[in-house]
Parts: sequence; C-alpha cells; structure tokens
Amino acid sequence: MLKRLVLVRGAEIALFVVLGALPLAVHSPYALALLTLLAIYGVVLIGLDVTVGYLGQVNLAQAAMLGLGAYLAGIAVTRYGVGIPLAIVLSGGFCTLVGALLALPALRLEGPQFALATLSFTALCATALNELEWLTNGAQGLQIPRPLLLGHEVDARAFFWLCTAILALVWLAMRNLLSSQWGRAFEALRDSPIATDAMGVGTYRHKVAGFAFGSGLGGAAGALYAFDLRYLQPQTFDYGLTVTLLLGVVLGGRKSLWGAVVGAALVALLPNLLSSPPLFRAFSGIAFALALVSGVRGLVRRKTDAFRALAPIAVTLTLVIGSFLASNIEDWRRAIFALLLFSVVVGLPEGLMGFASAGLARLFRVAPPDLPPPAALEQVLPARAPDGSVLLELAGLSRHFGDVRAVDGVDLTVKAGTIHGLIGPNGSGKSTLVNVVSGLYTPSGGQLRLRGAALRGGKPVAAARAGIARTFQNLQLFGGMTALDNVMVALRGAWRVPLPLVLLGLGRLEELRGQAAALALLELVSLRGEARTRAADLTYGAQRFLEIARALARRPDLLILDEPAAGLAQPDVQRLLEIIRRIHQRGITTVLIEHHMDVVSELCEIVTVLDGGKVIAEGSPAEIKRDAKVITAYLGAAEPDAPAPGAAPAPSAPAETP
Amino acid sequence: MLTVTDLHAGYGLSEVLVGASLEVKPGTIVALIGANGAGKTTTMRAISGTLAPTRGQVRLAGSRVDGLGAARIARLGLAHAPEGRKVFGPLSTEDNLLLGAFRWLPHLFGFHRQARQALARVYDLFPRLAERRAQLAGTLSGGEQQMLAIGRALMARPKIMLLDEPSMGLAPVIVQEVFRTIRRLKAEGMTMLLVEQFASAALGVADHVYVMERGRVAVSGTPDELRRDPRVLAAYLG
Repeated sequence: MLKRLVLVRGAEIALFVVLGALPLAVHSPYALALLTLLAIYGVVLIGLDVTVGYLGQVNLAQAAMLGLGAYLAGIAVTRYGVGIPLAIVLSGGFCTLVGALLALPALRLEGPQFALATLSFTALCATALNELEWLTNGAQGLQIPRPLLLGHEVDARAFFWLCTAILALVWLAMRNLLSSQWGRAFEALRDSPIATDAMGVGTYRHKVAGFAFGSGLGGAAGALYAFDLRYLQPQTFDYGLTVTLLLGVVLGGRKSLWGAVVGAALVALLPNLLSSPPLFRAFSGIAFALALVSGVRGLVRRKTDAFRALAPIAVTLTLVIGSFLASNIEDWRRAIFALLLFSVVVGLPEGLMGFASAGLARLFRVAPPDLPPPAALEQVLPARAPDGSVLLELAGLSRHFGDVRAVDGVDLTVKAGTIHGLIGPNGSGKSTLVNVVSGLYTPSGGQLRLRGAALRGGKPVAAARAGIARTFQNLQLFGGMTALDNVMVALRGAWRVPLPLVLLGLGRLEELRGQAAALALLELVSLRGEARTRAADLTYGAQRFLEIARALARRPDLLILDEPAAGLAQPDVQRLLEIIRRIHQRGITTVLIEHHMDVVSELCEIVTVLDGGKVIAEGSPAEIKRDAKVITAYLGAAEPDAPAPGAAPAPSAPAETP
Repeated sequence: MLTVTDLHAGYGLSEVLVGASLEVKPGTIVALIGANGAGKTTTMRAISGTLAPTRGQVRLAGSRVDGLGAARIARLGLAHAPEGRKVFGPLSTEDNLLLGAFRWLPHLFGFHRQARQALARVYDLFPRLAERRAQLAGTLSGGEQQMLAIGRALMARPKIMLLDEPSMGLAPVIVQEVFRTIRRLKAEGMTMLLVEQFASAALGVADHVYVMERGRVAVSGTPDELRRDPRVLAAYLG
C-alpha cells in the first residue's frame, strides 16, 4: 500500500514539482515559452486521449476545438474585457457544447467514417475562422492583450505556473474520472458495445459524453493558448496541427495521462529540435538506439515478427543518416514527422509510455490496492419468494428478416421463480427470440410484456433497465478488463455520485461498496480468487461463469442464459448446474437455452420447444422427451448405424450414458 | 501422418502448452479430450500454424512444418476446421467452399476441374449445403455452418483434417449427423484429429484418445482402455 503510494503518486507529484520548479532554474524566455506550450498541449492531449485512447476512435477535430476555444477567449477579452478565469470557463463550456453537438451525429459512425466526419469539421472551422472577418479579423490575425488574473498583471513565469496548475488539476480530475464507473464504461464499450448496452450502461451516451468532455478540455486549453501566443491566425488550427496532436497521443502512449504529457513534451519541443542540427542528431540517435534495443529484444524473445522489429530500426537509421546529410533540417519537417509516426505505429503500437510502463512494471512490482471483504449476498442479490405470478408474457411475437420468419407468432408465458427451458434445432429462432426479448431486435409484430408492462423492444438499454439481464452464446466479455471490473460495469443502482463530484474524487466510497458487491457475486460463481485476472486470460469455463456473474449484477427480474454449457467439459458442466441452482434459490427467474438435454432435464420445471420460429411443444422435460414431434425435429432417434456393440455409447445421448 | 513432439505454445506471457506430444496414424481418428483450459484448442492452433509454437516439433508426413505459418501448412495438406466454425459470413455457401479449394486456382474458363470435383463430393456428403449454395454463409443455421466448415476443409483434399469442437452449440439431432459424417469420412480413409467436449461421443468414433491436463498429455490409450480407467471415467465421462 505504502509502496504504491510512494511509487505511483510520488512519481506524479515529482513530475509537477519538477515542472513547476524549472522556471526558477531556467531563465531563458524562449525555454519558458516552450514549457508553457508543453503544459497547454498536455491539457489538449489528455482531452484528445479520451476519444483516441479510451473510445478507440480516430478524432481529427481536436485542433479545431483548440482553435474555437482560442478565438472565443480572444474575442471575449478584446471586446468585452473578460478576465482569464471566466475566459477559460467560457471556452471550455462552449467547446463541450460544440463537441456534444458534433458527437451526436458523428458518433453514430465508426472508424474511418467517424474520422472523416471530424476531419470535415476541422475544415469547416478553419474556413469559418478565416471568412468571418468582422468577428475574427480573418487572415490578418487577431491581436490579444494578456488579460488580468483577479486584478493582477500576469508575467510569463506566472502564466506558466497557471498553465501547469491547470494541467495538474485536469490530470487529477481525469484520474478520478477514469478510476470511476465512467472509466470502466469507456473500457467496456470498446471491448463489446453490445454487452455494454445489454448491461444497461448505454454505449452511445457514454461515447457522446466522453467526446464532449475531451472537446471541452481542448477548448479550455485554447483559451490558454490564446493568452500565451497573444496572436491568432486561422491557418494555425488546420490539418497540420491535427496531425501533430494525433502524433502526440500515439507517440506518448494512448490511454495514459503520462503518455499525454510525454507526447505533449515531444510535440512542443520537436519543432525546436529540428532547428538545431546537433540536437536533432542526438534525438535521432536516441530514437535509433531505442528502436534497435526494442527490436532486437523482441526478435530474440520471439515476441515480434521481423517486419515489426526491423521497420522502426530502418526508419530511425534513415533519420540518423539524414540528420548528417541534410543542410537545413527544418525543410524536412513534415517528412520527419511522417517517418516518426510510421515507426511508432509499427514498432511501438502502445507508444513510449506503453513501452516504458511494461518495463517499469517488471522493475517495481506494485501490488494493486487491497480489495474490501465481499458484501453479504443478501444485500447484493436479495432473495425473493416466488409468488407464481406471470413475469414474462409473449403474445404472437414475431420477427422477420426479409422473407425469413425467424420468429413466427410465439406465445410464451414465463412464471416468476421458475427455470424455463427453451430448446429447438439450430435455426429454430431461439436466439432471435432472446434477442427480441433483450431488446437487440425490434419485434415485427406481437406483444412483449414484463410484469404486465409492455416493452417496445429494439432498445437493449431500456430492456436492461426494465430488469432483463442476459449472457451471450458467443461470449461478450470485456476481455481487457479484470473479472472484478467486468462485474462492476453492470452493477445496478450502485452509482449515484454525480459527475462533478466524481471529478473531485468523491466517488471513492461508492467505489469500495461496488467492489464489495461485485466480489460477493464473483463468490457466487466461485471466481472470487480470479477477481484481478483479465477476463480474456480466464479459462473458457470461467469466462462463461463470469458472464453469469455480470448479468446477476443487474439484479435482474429475468435472467436469460444463452447456451451456458456450450463447449464446457463435464466437470465444468457440474459447476454450472450448481451455479444455476444457487441462482434459483435466490428466487430469480431464469430462461435457459441449452442443447445439453441432461442439463435441461436436470434443472427446468418447464420446457418450450421451438421449430421453424413456432412453438411445437411445451411441458415438463419428461413429457418433452416423449413427444414425437420433438424427437423428429430435435432429439433424433437412436443411431441406426451405431458402431459395434460395446464400442461406444450412441452420441444421441451424449452425456447421459456413463 | 502427424507427429507432435514436446510442443510449447502460449498467448503473450501465459504459456498454455507445456510439452504436448501425440501421434496420428494414417486413416485413423485421434480424439483429444480434457477440461476447459487444458490446451486442446491451443494444440490444434499450434499444429495448424495459426499460433506459432515456441518450442517443439510438428511433423506432417515426415517433414517438419512447425513455424512455417498457417498458409504454408495448409498447402502441405493439413486442413483445420476451427472452433466456432469461422465461415466467411458475407460470402455465399458455394464461394466459401470454393475458397477452400485454394490449391487449384480458377483458370480462364472457370474453375479448375479438381475444384469442381471436390465441390461435387462435398455436396454429395452434405446435400443440405447444395440446397443452400447461394445463401450467405452468415445466415445459415449453426448446424449448416458446421457442415460448411467441414466441407470447406475437405475442399483442399487434405491429408489430415483437424476438427475443433464440431458439436459445439448444436442440437442433438445435428450432433448425430455430424458424427455420422465423421464416420463416413473415416470409412473413406480420411485421417482426423478431433477435439470434442462430448467425450463419450468422441470415444465412440476414435481409434486412439489423448486426455490433456494443464498443457500436456496426461493419459492416452484406446477408447476401451480409457473407459476402464476410473480416473478418466469420473473426470470426463460424467
């Protein structure tokens, strides 16, 4: 605990103390200007990292946000004599709003389309700033006096401290945000948007909020930028800056506050490195050494393929040779940026900080903070007495895909507190039915009622909030997150502290309560010992059980298990039976879709059989097994061409015969 | 046909296989069973080259193939029908199959004669696929997709076929059909390595069985021997 405090927090404090103390040692105004730029870029890149790193989308609008913020602050100061604090708040707030408005349509898109949408926004902004001459003074540029801070003059050194202080505050707020439910939601929606929605978290909402927040940081930094340079030109905030900012995030390392500041340092200092040949030679020499070490190490340990290891070495070697050949390096600036970006993307996909933190993690083993003791299961998942009432009711429900009637007029009643089996041949409409009930598909016709209240369908978040939780046939875990975090994402009703207080770090207590609740659920599925294991590293069986724990975190009225035993070996099937029985004891209604008939007969009180999108039979497992229609369509007769007697039990009853 | 010696492989820092060895003789079916996480699928992937082994040897018909990469190994006559089917969803059933016949490139006047013959043979084996030849593979039912995955593997006329969990997520009636197909292929002389959770079903078709535990082979023998082994019986045959 203490070690963690000293190493992790200590490093952060040291960073800001050193940064803040630098002007006392360095007196050159030029160096001070560079340091100020570094702090401002730090804020911009932390904001950009929200979309590029956490949401995993290439955002090309951050330069425009910086520009909008800068111009708004400049205009507010020149025309209305606004002071520094108000100007920062104005620019930040305005860009948050613009970011939200841009994100609403743009984040309906993915990947390259999203990148293009943000790129066109940058083009639009640059043109508007240029053409609205009455407001922005157009291409002639806007002169801005540095305004007063609370009635005092601000000299260059004080302004640098102001920027550093703001960077520190943003760093703190961001750390608080990322270690809260918000940070988990950002992680989760990148790993599996479908599951994020199905757990009631709301992918789209979080994406828009994240983008708006990051844009707001860009805008606030824009105000500082305006007061730093005191002269603004529209063409500053164009594609060139867009690429530079992107380079900063990727080079520094995505999803890392340290990465953003390291990236900011490189982006702020790099152009100046280029103007001094000896410095640039040293820089490219270091880059070459780094590429050589990491490339050779990767090759020796057989962790990287030849291209990944050799390409960055070749590129940085080109830089070294070029630095001795070229007479004026500044002319080659764009080419050098491009080469650097290429070698980073190929050789250090996690950026400098990703590379460094892997090494640091090996040097200093910092244990994660202790977990609280698990909460009482009764608190997390209160037991309910089954009252025999109707929980889920489907009347004439259908879903068509073109001419294919995947679900064709299904009537189905699920009573509270039961385990209701749903079986049928592949393609009989079970999965489609489940997808309609859990809101992934809109029904083509018919009624869907939960506790008598109609559900319209087509909205997974709404279905989740109405009390329906599910697991997925093809696992939809948040693979990069720990088992504990997977469950915590889904916890229902645990997150009440509003965003501003979370930013101030007041969400800790809630966080501990959430961990205790999640641990209780992990214990229920016998995974408490794996709480800190990444979901992707769990064994296949454990992954299936984790999905069940995650669904239970919704404290659902109705739990839908979609083929939980698929691919499980016999010992794990036994564990699964035990888990489902425990869930049943808590009075939770379960719909179980399964092909293992022994699992179904063992657990279910009632079984519904689907074929061709219609219900062909319903009854107790024993009745179903005798039903002629079910035998033909689903169970199949005993093997007529079975191998010689004694050689093998017929595969028709796979796990029933010992 | 296939000899695997001391195979090591893993993902990132975690080593899943720690010295697996097995042998598949021509014309036989060898089954690989074991608990989840024992390394069955990883063994398959390390053999077919979709995962590079870190140590050990894989010999296909006498020559070493480990480290060659999945594409080269496939060309040498090893077909892998992976876990979870992995059909090409946006392509038609027939196109999926024809992609399996990568050994015979289409020529100017249409598809190669060998590819057409292979296609006819697969349609003969799975009449359902012939009915669905124009349908997009992604819209097929789970059972049909499994047949397609097996059919696609057969298209290259492989020397040996790796079948990973062919019964996963399938209705009992389809599972029976899949195992009928496996028996028929065996009768035609196909060599197969089979990973299967339905241990009893796997034992029913196999000539030899390996039980994997924690990344290596724990027990091996004929199905009859394993059925008499009380430990195997308790742990895997329920």
